[in-house]
Amino acid sequence: MTERALPSSLTRLTTSAAAGILLWVSRTLLGSLVAYPLLTVVDATGIAGGPDHDAVLFRPGSLLLLELLRVGLPWLGAVCKITLVLGALSALFELLPLACALQLLHDPDRTLGERAARALACFPRFFGLGAVTWAAQAALLLAASLLATALKSALQHGDERTLTLAPFALFGLALLGCLWLGGVLDLARAAVVRHDSGAREALRSALTALRDQPLDVLSGAYVSALGGLLAYLVAAWLMTRIDLSGPMPARLAFVFAVHQFAIVFGLAWRVRWLRRALELSARSD
Amino acid sequence: MRRAARDLLIGALFSALSGLALRALAGAKNALPASTAASRITSQAPFPALSAAADSVASYDIDAKLDTNTHRITAHETIHFVNRSAAPLNELWFHLYLNAFKNDKTLFLRSPFGAGRSGDKAHAYGYVDVKKLSVLGDGAADGRDLWPDRDRHSPNDPDDETDLRLPLPNPLAPGATLSIDLTFEDQLPEIVERTGYSGSFHFLGQWFPKLARLEPDGKFAHFSFHALSEFYADFGDYDVSLDVPEAFRVGATGSLSHESHAAGRKQLRFLAENVHDFAWTAWDRFETRSERIAGVNVSVLFPPHQERNAQAELDSVRFALPHFNALYGTYPYPTLTLVHPPDGADNAGGMEYPTLITTGGPWYATFGGGHFIDIVTIHELGHQWFYGLVASNEHVAPFLDEGLNSYAEAEAMEARYGAGAVFDGFGLSVTSTALNRALSAARGADEPVGQSAADFASFRSLGALVYSRTAIVMATIGRVYGEDRLAHAVGMYTRRFRFRHPSPDDFLGVMQEELGAEAATALSAALFARGTVDYLVREISNAPEPSAAGIFDGPSGRQQKKPDPPHAPGQYAGRVVVYRHGTLELPVDIELIFEDGSRERRHWDGHGFTHNVDYAGPSQIVAVNVDPEHRILLDDDFTNNWHSTTSSPAPRVFERGLYAAQVLLGEVGP
Repeated sequence: MTERALPSSLTRLTTSAAAGILLWVSRTLLGSLVAYPLLTVVDATGIAGGPDHDAVLFRPGSLLLLELLRVGLPWLGAVCKITLVLGALSALFELLPLACALQLLHDPDRTLGERAARALACFPRFFGLGAVTWAAQAALLLAASLLATALKSALQHGDERTLTLAPFALFGLALLGCLWLGGVLDLARAAVVRHDSGAREALRSALTALRDQPLDVLSGAYVSALGGLLAYLVAAWLMTRIDLSGPMPARLAFVFAVHQFAIVFGLAWRVRWLRRALELSARSD
Repeated sequence: MRRAARDLLIGALFSALSGLALRALAGAKNALPASTAASRITSQAPFPALSAAADSVASYDIDAKLDTNTHRITAHETIHFVNRSAAPLNELWFHLYLNAFKNDKTLFLRSPFGAGRSGDKAHAYGYVDVKKLSVLGDGAADGRDLWPDRDRHSPNDPDDETDLRLPLPNPLAPGATLSIDLTFEDQLPEIVERTGYSGSFHFLGQWFPKLARLEPDGKFAHFSFHALSEFYADFGDYDVSLDVPEAFRVGATGSLSHESHAAGRKQLRFLAENVHDFAWTAWDRFETRSERIAGVNVSVLFPPHQERNAQAELDSVRFALPHFNALYGTYPYPTLTLVHPPDGADNAGGMEYPTLITTGGPWYATFGGGHFIDIVTIHELGHQWFYGLVASNEHVAPFLDEGLNSYAEAEAMEARYGAGAVFDGFGLSVTSTALNRALSAARGADEPVGQSAADFASFRSLGALVYSRTAIVMATIGRVYGEDRLAHAVGMYTRRFRFRHPSPDDFLGVMQEELGAEAATALSAALFARGTVDYLVREISNAPEPSAAGIFDGPSGRQQKKPDPPHAPGQYAGRVVVYRHGTLELPVDIELIFEDGSRERRHWDGHGFTHNVDYAGPSQIVAVNVDPEHRILLDDDFTNNWHSTTSSPAPRVFERGLYAAQVLLGEVGP
């Protein structure tokens, strides 16, 4: 059972909102950092230097979008590497707001300074747990890849469609497994935040929670993922129907709003799952 | 990779949704309005009447039997040859192109180009053996086997046997005829460069001993099988009987005139008139669909489970056949056969033969917004004109077939799909013009487009210049001098040279006649002289222009004008300098954009290296845009076509980049 009295609905709502906002702000700032090198390429090529600026890149037919790729090719390789490095660093840095958000959900009464200090303290364990999960996920995908190769050989004389789709099905299963591992990782993080426990102990606690409440863990993780996926899909669908090739700031603002809404919606599902992970972890104590 | 699963799910759902959307749109595609090509060109000068038939030079009667287990063909062939040149002939030149796959030392297999267009070496060797050759008629030698008299190898190439000279015992006078009787055997290679077998699938191109094209001066246009080259031959009539196992379906050049069955095998007789090659295919797993389109019996032979591709191919023909008929003259043959090779036989795909074309692509090629199937089908169909009917020398001037055909393909694809001609999905559209430009831009100075296939440095260079750059050269000429005028000019060329063998000069002659000397000069420079162009603007200058002050004597007497007070709304004088780099002089529009949002167009005929655009008016110039409609697709660099005095923000790119980064951070973070 939890050590504290259950928070009121209003407190739950406000802490969830605060956690969501924290995650959104950090992701937006880090996302801007990651996206910045791309802007430098656009600027360097001069493709947006005309009277219509970068609207030309969104015109039907992609004449100037391909021109950007052609002219910007010498820079793009280097920029991709920089973006990857920035992305990796940002992903690591995002563990801090994640830890803060978990602290906030777990113990809303702490001060901002205390939460930041605890988040910093949690960082090495979050990183370690993330690395272990990554390794497990990579092993799962590697196994799926090896199996797919074997399956391809076995199906060599079979139907062309089966030959194409079977490896995809295998990878689909492997990715579901990766998702499940991600859920376990969140349980372990919840254990770290709740008990300030070490990574190994937190992992053990997560596996205990999984053993005790497998359906709750699976459904929580998958529903969270599906919520985000739904938001991204709707945003993507909507985007395909909005023409950005004209000088229309209102449309751009609308597109920005839709994209950010999708991100916020996805984060809301994530916060909901993190809170659930804290509860599942508590139930297994 | 924490929740990388979501990424894949997103992709899978996108694919599924796009598939559903495409299925929903399939009806709309079929319901697309018919080609408007006819109305585009009938408003101009009438075309000449179409030739009904070619002057037959070499006609072939072949009886061939295919052993599908050993992949061998035993055959008997008779060539009915007429010397239509102005000179007596002392020799014949035979192309034995199956010998290109005989061993690793042939010109083709020792090629540094990755073994040619199909990009693959032969996995099992193939060859053609002529067992006996005799001649009857004028210049005959009493039925004696002349084959031992042949040269043993291609000229200056002791390792190649694809281009062989046979001395005639007696000269063959102009106008005289000759019957050449051969027996030969083929051992087919595993599919390579559009010929051979893959499992029980067989595709036979360049499979029989064939005479090189006899030019009017009495010389044969002969050449070895080269990795970068295609073919060239005389028109004639083909009467080909094929003997295959009964379970095999056959597709071939021409029309099936007779079919009989005996002892588990079947004999099929195909007749084709006014063609210059014969190809065929046989497979025991083919499925077929047929439809009568624009008066032509169109058949598609395709592998099991590829009904979707077959349907897409028929849809493409349903659009493009009437389209090309209107633009380039009516397709004159009663049949058209499309062959979609199975998985593993991809090297047989994407090739043209008279009345038979091969397409290709995996079973899922029509999913996801790409128009690959349509592109390959329409491209190969276009070759029925640019290669089939207008039979230029593909070895010497590949731009006349592949280049003009790429232009025709792009034009047809854009007429059908607009801006999404190559790809149309997920909010992104890519047109053929954009793709051709991206592939060929800034390569114009590498090599001449109009050179021989064998002279290109690599297949990548040939692809960029012959296919893409020719299409872009033509599109530029169309955009600058009028697309309808260009369509009419190309239509004139295809009609005038139907069933003939035009040279590059013939092509340029028609272009000059139809489009004028300036356009023809630009065309010639772009195709043959590595002509390039790059319009650029480097600077904009603006200065306030105060009204003149002082004492002025005029008709109404002496007047004194005071200087303008500070900050008075005044006049500005501005200058924009536009430069032209390169050798092509093409007229261009220049757009001036002013501080008050208004725009003004100026025109430059493209002569000279610089052009000053002077302006005086109430608003400052804040930006200039040279060639705002991108008519000059040959422009080496679009990014220097404009100049602005203001900053160049990229809010749309930033927005997309930010969103992508946010999604990725959420999905693959640890």
